[in-house]
Amino acid sequence: MTFLEALSAGFSLVAQWESIFFLGLGVLVGVFAGAIPGMSATMAVALTLPFTFALQPISGILLLLGVYKGGIFGGSIPAILIKTPGTPASSATSLDGYPLAEKGRANEALSMSLYSSCIADLISNLALILFAAWLASFALNFGPPEMFALIVFSLTIIAGVSGDSLIKGIIAATVGLILATVGLDFIGGTERLTFGSVELRGGLNLVPMLIGLFALPEIIAYIRNPSEKDQKVRALGHSVLKWVDFRRSLKSIFRGSFIGVFLGAIPGIGAAPSAFLSYSEARRSSPNRDNFGKGELEGVAAAEAGNNGVAGATMIPLLSLGIPGDIITAIIIGAFMVHELTPGPLLFQNNAEIVYAIFIGLVASSFLLLIVGSVAIRAFRYIADVPANLLFPGVLVLCFFGVFAINNSIFDVAVMLAAGFVGYLMLIFRFPAAPFLIAFILGPMLENAFRQSLLMSRGSLEIFARGPITILFWCLTVLSITMIIRSTVKAARLKREAARSAQSMQKE
Amino acid sequence: MLSRRAEFLVGLAVMLLAACIIWVLIPGYVTIPRRVPIQALSPSFWPTIIGWTMLLCGGLLALRAVTAPPPPDAITDDLRVPRAEGFRLAALAVLLTVAYLALPVVGMVWTTMVVFVLMVLLTGGKRLFWGVALAIILPLVLYFFFTKVAGVAIPQGRIVRLP
Repeated sequence: MTFLEALSAGFSLVAQWESIFFLGLGVLVGVFAGAIPGMSATMAVALTLPFTFALQPISGILLLLGVYKGGIFGGSIPAILIKTPGTPASSATSLDGYPLAEKGRANEALSMSLYSSCIADLISNLALILFAAWLASFALNFGPPEMFALIVFSLTIIAGVSGDSLIKGIIAATVGLILATVGLDFIGGTERLTFGSVELRGGLNLVPMLIGLFALPEIIAYIRNPSEKDQKVRALGHSVLKWVDFRRSLKSIFRGSFIGVFLGAIPGIGAAPSAFLSYSEARRSSPNRDNFGKGELEGVAAAEAGNNGVAGATMIPLLSLGIPGDIITAIIIGAFMVHELTPGPLLFQNNAEIVYAIFIGLVASSFLLLIVGSVAIRAFRYIADVPANLLFPGVLVLCFFGVFAINNSIFDVAVMLAAGFVGYLMLIFRFPAAPFLIAFILGPMLENAFRQSLLMSRGSLEIFARGPITILFWCLTVLSITMIIRSTVKAARLKREAARSAQSMQKE
Repeated sequence: MLSRRAEFLVGLAVMLLAACIIWVLIPGYVTIPRRVPIQALSPSFWPTIIGWTMLLCGGLLALRAVTAPPPPDAITDDLRVPRAEGFRLAALAVLLTVAYLALPVVGMVWTTMVVFVLMVLLTGGKRLFWGVALAIILPLVLYFFFTKVAGVAIPQGRIVRLP
């Protein structure tokens, strides 16, 4: 299929009312879920996933992508109006958004947030279209040794951004890897850690695992401590965003978008570092830098551009290499699997029309976000009033139905409950969930690539350095590990110094 | 941030889990073919590597907890569970276990309705009218969506069957 044929086939897939309807519905669900304090974009994507398998593959994938895009923007609404970021990445938005709301300029802050989100989202989608196909055509030359080296490299980056503790990140990843080995061995067909259970022979299903990991811990935490927060929602105010303010923020919006694209394309970085980097760069270079943190519109624009700039770019490693860039794209892999599609270079060869339909749908989502976002801003007062004691039981009911529906399996419900228990333990003992999930997804790919390589070479390890691509990935892996160790040692030193100074203050 | 003692115990627990994987689960529950031409192709090779990595990291976590200075009290997590919170957690655990066991017998719709109402009661019972209304409506809507639209056979149970 030529480029033009694939493009026109993709266009005809998106140009159906179902595709546009489900994309719009996804954006709507995402914005509302992101705006509800206590819900998150990740939870919304995970809960929507089971509903996609009843749909056409493209409608289902667009629905999830809509939830993803909408959820990221939706998180900025409570960040501005009640200083409670709906997503971790929206924390940077609240730095200037909430002070603006306190001054009665919430409408301006939200409008700026919406416009910068849409622009950054569009730029990120265009970057995806530009680079994904190119990277996929490059990746078509990858054999098992190249894939092995690439996945090892990806895992090192993910381990490096696993939160406060690198060791805990690696432990979480090893738990994900060991659970991924459950099932029948793909070479010998013998049983591994199935404990004689027929249900476990096919391995642990991804969807119950991720719903359990990302939805249930929040429910358990709420049941444990169901105190309702007294959230004061700031009024929107009557001030309107002026063209002058928007124009002077454009530079920060574009800079933030490119920061988002760059960081989003690297697996594991995610939206929060991008939003903060974009914010700090805007503050460093802005003539109004003294006003940052006190209610500066440019600060809101920069944070939101950095935050939304990653949304399309995280799909670059997913679509072209089959490697999830962050937790949400890891969940979106589930939608591909449900429809028996495998993200990666072969997707561009075998299902090019789906890939191009996704591209076109993503560009359309930026415009739909503009429409849905404008409505959601006005409706927030009602969204924020959703009582948690009705929301969380509802989420649990959704989990039960959704998880069962994926495979018609009650056993999957048990897997979800067990994953929820593990997820809650990880939450209280401060183990990051992202390395767990990403290792669970990449684990089988890593092992298969390793064993296929050894089968090809009849046991010789030299195959893992057979060409420039593998050597490049090993060099990048060494570089990544060196940087991780350096930053970990530096962080540990700072922590020690902080602890010592706190101790000496206590003594005094 | 966890206290040094809690961090040390977590490290030991990870080591215990890793030891269990290496010396109990892999020998007992990974079937190895009689003839494996290359050791690295054995089904136990990969889980063993992961197990040893986990053991090493657990050891490092425990060691770090012993050697690092204690975090200030102000930022240390309090892992104690007050009686009321413990009761709610235990009640939730029992509720979810019973709900799972009841699914094939009572059916998903009726089970989730009861779970919904009991969760509202467990968290103080505020807005009980809306809770009961939603507990009836939501499972029924989901049942009709999955059964009629998606063609999924939602478990009906043996007591009251829906159309």
